[in-house]
Amino acid sequence: MTVRYGIVVDLNRCTGCMTCVLACKEENLTPPTVWWNKVLEIEEPALDSITYVRYACMHCDDPPCVAACPEKAIYKRADGIVIIDQAKCRGRGECRKACPYGVIDINPNQDYFPSAKPPYQNTGESFRSHPAGKAGKCTLCAHRIDKGKVPACVEACPSKAMTFGDLNDPVAPIRAKISRAEQLLESQKAGPKVFYVIPKNLSKPLEERIVKNPRMDRLP
Amino acid sequence: MNFKDASEEQGSSIRKEEDALGLEEETAGYTFCDGCNEVPFCGIKFYRRGEVVTRIEPWPDYPASPLCSKAYATLQRLYHPDRLKYPMKRTTPKGSPDPAFERISWDEAYDIIVHHLKRIKERYGPHAVFFYVGDPKEPRAAVQRLAFTYGSRNYGNESSTACRRAAQLAELLTYGFPTTGDLPTEQTKVMLIWGTNPAYSGQPFMCHWQFADAKERGVKFIVVDPRKTPTATTLADIHLQPRPGTTAALAAGMMHVIFKEELHNKAFCEKWIHGLDELKAYVKGFPPNRVEGITWVPAKKVIDAARLYACNAPGGLKTGAQGTTHDLNATNNHRAILLLPAICGYIDIPGGVTKPTSPLEGMPGFWAEGPPSFCMRDKLAAMEAERLDLEAFPAWAEKLFEVQTNHIVEWIGEGKVKAFLGWGFNMMIWPQTHEYQQAFAGLDFAMAVDYFYRPRTHDFVDLVLPAAMNFERLAPFAYHGRMIFGRTPVKPAGECREDWKIALDIGVRLGHPEIFFNGDVEASCNEILGMWGLTYDDLRKNQEKGITVPAPCPDAFKKYETGRMRPDGKPGFDTPSGKIEALSMVLQKHGYPALPEYKEPMPTSDEYPLILLTGARVPYITHSKWREDSPWLLELQREPLLMINPRDAEPRGIGRWDIVILKTPHGEIKVKAKPTIMVPKGVVGVMHGWAKANVNELIPRQFDPISGFPPFKEVPCAVMKA
Repeated sequence: MTVRYGIVVDLNRCTGCMTCVLACKEENLTPPTVWWNKVLEIEEPALDSITYVRYACMHCDDPPCVAACPEKAIYKRADGIVIIDQAKCRGRGECRKACPYGVIDINPNQDYFPSAKPPYQNTGESFRSHPAGKAGKCTLCAHRIDKGKVPACVEACPSKAMTFGDLNDPVAPIRAKISRAEQLLESQKAGPKVFYVIPKNLSKPLEERIVKNPRMDRLP
Repeated sequence: MNFKDASEEQGSSIRKEEDALGLEEETAGYTFCDGCNEVPFCGIKFYRRGEVVTRIEPWPDYPASPLCSKAYATLQRLYHPDRLKYPMKRTTPKGSPDPAFERISWDEAYDIIVHHLKRIKERYGPHAVFFYVGDPKEPRAAVQRLAFTYGSRNYGNESSTACRRAAQLAELLTYGFPTTGDLPTEQTKVMLIWGTNPAYSGQPFMCHWQFADAKERGVKFIVVDPRKTPTATTLADIHLQPRPGTTAALAAGMMHVIFKEELHNKAFCEKWIHGLDELKAYVKGFPPNRVEGITWVPAKKVIDAARLYACNAPGGLKTGAQGTTHDLNATNNHRAILLLPAICGYIDIPGGVTKPTSPLEGMPGFWAEGPPSFCMRDKLAAMEAERLDLEAFPAWAEKLFEVQTNHIVEWIGEGKVKAFLGWGFNMMIWPQTHEYQQAFAGLDFAMAVDYFYRPRTHDFVDLVLPAAMNFERLAPFAYHGRMIFGRTPVKPAGECREDWKIALDIGVRLGHPEIFFNGDVEASCNEILGMWGLTYDDLRKNQEKGITVPAPCPDAFKKYETGRMRPDGKPGFDTPSGKIEALSMVLQKHGYPALPEYKEPMPTSDEYPLILLTGARVPYITHSKWREDSPWLLELQREPLLMINPRDAEPRGIGRWDIVILKTPHGEIKVKAKPTIMVPKGVVGVMHGWAKANVNELIPRQFDPISGFPPFKEVPCAVMKA
């Protein structure tokens, strides 16, 4: 059977500590204002609850971004990972509009240290290069998976809130988690492969928040 | 100022490194994170090409792992173009608006330091020089060796200012051994987590997954915190949200229920608690209804929590470094918490609150304190009369060797302190920061070692020295239990030196080359490692797995029965009575309330109706660090936010991100508001350590009489729309 990678995020364990956010930043060296891996804070006074949600590209089985791209720059790998081909992308932003989850960014023309590029930016690895004007999003750390490692966010999580694995493998630990997990915006029928174990009564507020504002929105 | 020159030169050195990058093989390296000043350190595995660090990961199978956001940001910090790269001296008198720092050589810097140290010793005596280590804690051992060899008794640090030591004092007075509790084990049935948020702030390291696993195993959790922290939301079966500063009343209320319903461990209490009758009589005055009135915690919840904790033996405890000691009743508030597991008999049993059986030989205390022999702490006994905190804080002085620093304003004013040698120190740690800044301007000489130029501190010193960062340091190595690990540093940037080496170098130039290993950092580490028959080379040979020094015996429990709690080998606890002291004989001797008495916090009023809670952690910033250091982290938060309950925000017309004025009788700041149920009604929270809105200017210089700790979580305040 083919490999089909996914992640289950257990929101009963996610604390909003931002470690995955920084692990992703450090691994992929995304430019300023671009956070492929986000943590949303969902506060519901009526339910007296605050919930934190690790949030990134869903690597959909049927990704709307692929169909939307006029350059055919977006493709799904055999293992289900959705990739934007940086050579083909012309940054028209159609994928951004098509994505129900709002997780695609257009790279800004900005550097953290414009006067002195840090040497770690110069390793020549393509996954760490983000030309301005092109679309970018979480790659599920395909470059790490290809070396037998798990995505940087999963490795980093101090609460072990994330389980990464092959959704088609009946004995993978991810399968034990999946029975309790839900897909976000399931009605969109994109077939997201990032699943969530969601505390009671929170599915709806969570989806509403994502539709309204999928960014981290920490400050205006 | 010479900053421009420095960054230009650094730019060119980086370009050279870039050219070399492609040619070098990628190899693994190892170091520790100093991002939050936690010791023992969390382990970083990094990849390097030559002397360039290219990426980092958690150190596999390292005992303090995984990492947190700050650890990942140490990579960006390492190559920040604004890093201090050269020693600098100010060229205008302290107190001038522009310090006009200029670059000097290390030789000149050391000459200046040694000149002042010799002059001050001759004229005022050695104790007029205050030695201080802030953040990171790493150079503490080397700086103590320097201070005590030079001959000053006056060494202190951030722990002895406002962090760990007040709780530790409470632990030593009560249990006779220091502990912030234990992680739940397979035996633990119920956990009491009080005033700490391990999901964000370690204690120890990023351990939240272990609590989450315990919860999935069925362990019950009682979380005590005024705030709705992720620790509370992800773990708590019962979340108690007391009014800040009322800890002793809440603990007394729980003990009231436990004694009244006879849920306590009678045999343990009779045999091992000193002052049991006095304690029982005291908590009798705290029935749940009264406790509700004092603490805001509903009486039913007090009863439920007491029953849940006492009826599910064994129960564990997790307290924080300082969350429960930032008020004017700090020590006795924390002592009250410690008595809960004690009366249930949960002390030194599997799954309860334990004392390590076999600490490394020669390391009786925490690693952060340093090995006593290397630190030359044997010199202290003869100098005790010279410690500056002796009169104001006698119980502290009896139990803790580090000097309580909060009165340094007075000591400088009275001419008792003439010079200050500080590693990683920050003025904003102190309440009424400006008083400390003004006082420092009056010193003969002040020196700071740091990574970046931090104006709110360095504008008030004479000399700023550039420290090598975590990837560039050899010392200190790390240990966890009986496991020891070394590092594999890259070459420091510019002229940066390890802060440990700076201490050694000063010692050499004071005329003690042998005592300070001719400035050789590795030789000084070997002096410590020699206690276990090891050298740094042995650590290199066992780089990733480390070296475990075999324990002389298996872990043992109930060591109070076998004489292994006390240095004299007699059964009992290491306290004057030999028991856990509900009634502290040390406090009694010095005229303090000897029971963990409740003291009513500062009263709110119509003018100041809210309670200001400062010092709570965000996960990606520690204190005032990371402002200059990493744009990655700064992008997550660029300014402090005032957390205010929506029910307090609405009547004041305060919406999300509105600018508000936060005011106490002692000062005011302007900040952005974030209405959130994270804080309960009646309490507002704001982060500390932001220079443009330094909340410590709103805190008075009043101190807990026992520990000298400031009231960072007690002061009445007002909030209004700006």
